[in-house]
Amino acid sequence: MSLKLDPRTKLYMIFVVSAVVMMSATTPFLWAVRISMTMIPILLLIIEKHYAAAFRFLILYAAALIVSFRFLSENSKGFLSAFLVGYCSIIVQFMPAMITAWYVVRTTKIGEFVCAMQKMHIPDGITISLAVVMRFFPTIKEEYTAIRDAMKMRGIMLGGGDAAGIIEYRMIPLLFSCVNIGDELSAAAVTRGLGGKVKRTSVQVLKMSVADYLLMLLFTAALAVFVVFKYIK
Amino acid sequence: MNDKKLQAKDFITIGIFTALLFVVEFACGILGFIHPYIVASYVVLIPIVGSIPMMLFYTKIEKFGMLTIMSVLVAIIMFVTGMGYLGAPFIIAAGVIADLIARSGRYKSFKKTIISYGVFCLWICANYFPVVITANSYRKNLIEGGYSAEYCDNLFRAINSKTIAVLLILCFVFGCVGAYVGKAVVKKHFEKAGIV
Amino acid sequence: MMQTIAKIDNVTHKYKGAAENSLDGVSLTIHKGETILLCGASGSGKTSVIRLLNGLIPHYYHGDMTGYVTVNGHDIAKTQLYELAGIVGTVFQNPRSQFFSVDTDGEIVFGPENIGLEPKEINARKEIIAEQMKLDKLLGRSLFELSGGEKQRIACASVAALLPEIILLDEPSSNLDMQAVSMLHDIICEWKKQGKTIIISEHRLWYLKDIADRVIYMDKGRIVREWSGNDFAELSEEETKQMKLRPTNINERYLALLSGNDESGSRHTDVSDGIILREFYFSYNHKPCLLRRKIFTAADGDDLSLCIPKLTIPKGKVTAVIGSNGTGKSTFLRCICGLEKDCTGVIISKGKEYRKRQRIGFSYMVMQDVNHQLFTDSVEKEVLLSMKEKDIIRCHEILDTLGLLEYKGTHPMALSGGQKQRVAIASAIAAGAELLLFDEPTSGLDYAHMEKVGELLRQLADSGSTVLVSTHDPEFIELCCDHTLRIKKGRVDSLD
Repeated sequence: MSLKLDPRTKLYMIFVVSAVVMMSATTPFLWAVRISMTMIPILLLIIEKHYAAAFRFLILYAAALIVSFRFLSENSKGFLSAFLVGYCSIIVQFMPAMITAWYVVRTTKIGEFVCAMQKMHIPDGITISLAVVMRFFPTIKEEYTAIRDAMKMRGIMLGGGDAAGIIEYRMIPLLFSCVNIGDELSAAAVTRGLGGKVKRTSVQVLKMSVADYLLMLLFTAALAVFVVFKYIK
Repeated sequence: MNDKKLQAKDFITIGIFTALLFVVEFACGILGFIHPYIVASYVVLIPIVGSIPMMLFYTKIEKFGMLTIMSVLVAIIMFVTGMGYLGAPFIIAAGVIADLIARSGRYKSFKKTIISYGVFCLWICANYFPVVITANSYRKNLIEGGYSAEYCDNLFRAINSKTIAVLLILCFVFGCVGAYVGKAVVKKHFEKAGIV
Repeated sequence: MMQTIAKIDNVTHKYKGAAENSLDGVSLTIHKGETILLCGASGSGKTSVIRLLNGLIPHYYHGDMTGYVTVNGHDIAKTQLYELAGIVGTVFQNPRSQFFSVDTDGEIVFGPENIGLEPKEINARKEIIAEQMKLDKLLGRSLFELSGGEKQRIACASVAALLPEIILLDEPSSNLDMQAVSMLHDIICEWKKQGKTIIISEHRLWYLKDIADRVIYMDKGRIVREWSGNDFAELSEEETKQMKLRPTNINERYLALLSGNDESGSRHTDVSDGIILREFYFSYNHKPCLLRRKIFTAADGDDLSLCIPKLTIPKGKVTAVIGSNGTGKSTFLRCICGLEKDCTGVIISKGKEYRKRQRIGFSYMVMQDVNHQLFTDSVEKEVLLSMKEKDIIRCHEILDTLGLLEYKGTHPMALSGGQKQRVAIASAIAAGAELLLFDEPTSGLDYAHMEKVGELLRQLADSGSTVLVSTHDPEFIELCCDHTLRIKKGRVDSLD
């Protein structure tokens, strides 16, 4: 079974979760709300067949929860425990946002995302730039791998006796390549009509389904409950 | 042909350099996984390493909007990767101001570029916003829960609203320093190779 | 009387910052439905003609221009680039840099989306084109996992989706292997059948000789000669050589050898004096192993991407490494020079054994894209960077033999493609490597440059280095290689 959510729903999920991670839970009830909210993206990951990732996130989150609860409750002192607790509480705090973000990035096609942005009336210039950003991450990775190979062969992985070289020898060929690719890419794109006065269309069909509305409702409710119980009660 | 307005080619260039900037951010960000406290050193690393692509970027478009759009992209990516949206208005504000400063020097004046880049670098501090905000409420909760203030201070010494001011200043200063470094590299390589 | 579709009228053009004119009084009339082949050396103005027709000159590449260009009734100088999108389509040279999307479907519909067509219409077009070009296996995939040839097919599809009247191809086969070239040939034939007007700028001529209606030879920004397609196909090798063109006819033996249809079976010439490779095993499909990395052995059988129990490479000779893309040529070279550190294997030369990291010092690879291999801000420093003990006199000697001494203070990136390649070779010599590997050094080169690379490789071999060169160019093998080594599925298929 596969559940295809609308990118707008996903963006809304990130929005809610990012809001919630910035409010710390104080009562067991609030913790319960928080933890159940974290379970939703993990469940979604399982539905989308990213089992390994879901499992890893679950273990990490659970471990961090246990460590931070146990150690905090014993009023521990000392450098190491402070270090550990500091680490774990930050994981517990921000993990939900990380999991949601990972889910969204992994399950959304760039075309869908760009189309969602168009539907939200974001100007073409920004959507074009954003599409290029997404297309360029893998390109940078390819170029960088080739540069690193060349560095290995020259034996200058550590800068060839020059500390600044560690960064310079990686950055300079990378920039030259990217500028070149960018020029050729722009030429190819404008000859295929990019930058015209007509509004771009998109073949992506985005439709909000029942699942989208349900999830939006669920997240809104969770946010409302969290805020009411934390600040008003 | 209106040369003042951004064109398709410019949007592509902005996209490329935003991607490069993020690669720098991610590369430095990996260090942050060692321990959250190291995150504080972003204010030194990212402005300086990031200055190399950015100084090249300044020479590439020279039109109003280049930094504004970049900051909007940065804000969107930060939001989508779960780093929060509280920083978004701040990032975009930094972008617009940096853009205005650079425009006042017609994107040619190096002095204006230095200040503009320093201001632009303030976006890095948006990384800390969620931590600072949660840290404050977290500390309150801990103290209410009966923990000693000393313990809490130990935990959050590096992260509070005072340090953010310091971090902002550091960002700006190292941004300006970075501009010099980046400019030197651009001169050494890109001007010499004749692509600028 | 044939209908005129495009006309270039006495155009002279100079790129911004360039010293010489790129085009010098060029006039050309193009008829509807014609297929024109533009040939000539690099820098002869072929690409500039293509850029005139698609409007990149003057709208994208700025410079000084006089004269007029009209395409399908539009005055190019007064037409915006996006207005030309449905009229002229261009396939560019580099498959890696011309796509905008990350997936194949997105790329095919990119153009139609830009001009604001209805989604229904776009999808219908996509289906028709996918069928015409037999793309069903490529749809729905990430562009980053495709081979160069597959990317180029998607680029063609993306251009065709805009239904242009005129299709321009700018050295489209530069980075392609034999099979991909024949696919490209089929696509061009299909377009020709549909009655499109096609203009191709190209160095490799043999695959186009039965397609071109008219062949135009350019030199120094001028149109110098013109043939009909038939007359051109009958030019002798001497004539093409004189014009510094690659041959129009390829020795059948090489065609068969390169396309992998060689029926003569595997031959193994015994080499007495050579560099011995022993037990080179490597696989890209790692089976996850706890604690330690798996060591590959011959027992892994079919899982191996590279399996060479023993091979002797003729010493002091130039050996061509051939085989279609994806059969392990690159893997073979990468393993020899130690870039794949999981690859097992020993190199034995003069009784000395080189293992693992030592292989990097013993051999040196000049990569296909030399831009990745240049790090410093001057040619001199670039060569010195390779030397363990910086020896400026030796450095100048090397530069002198390669004809680079006058550029010693120049930034390597400011040089031309051929010069950059020589800088990379200079650093290879400076590194003191005995075994020099070249990964497709001639892709996209014109005949004169190819000849130069050939001479250089001969020189290297004559001065005692052993050279392995992977290539798709039959002309090049004929020019300078002593032996050919064919790799098939990661195994040595033949050496002769």
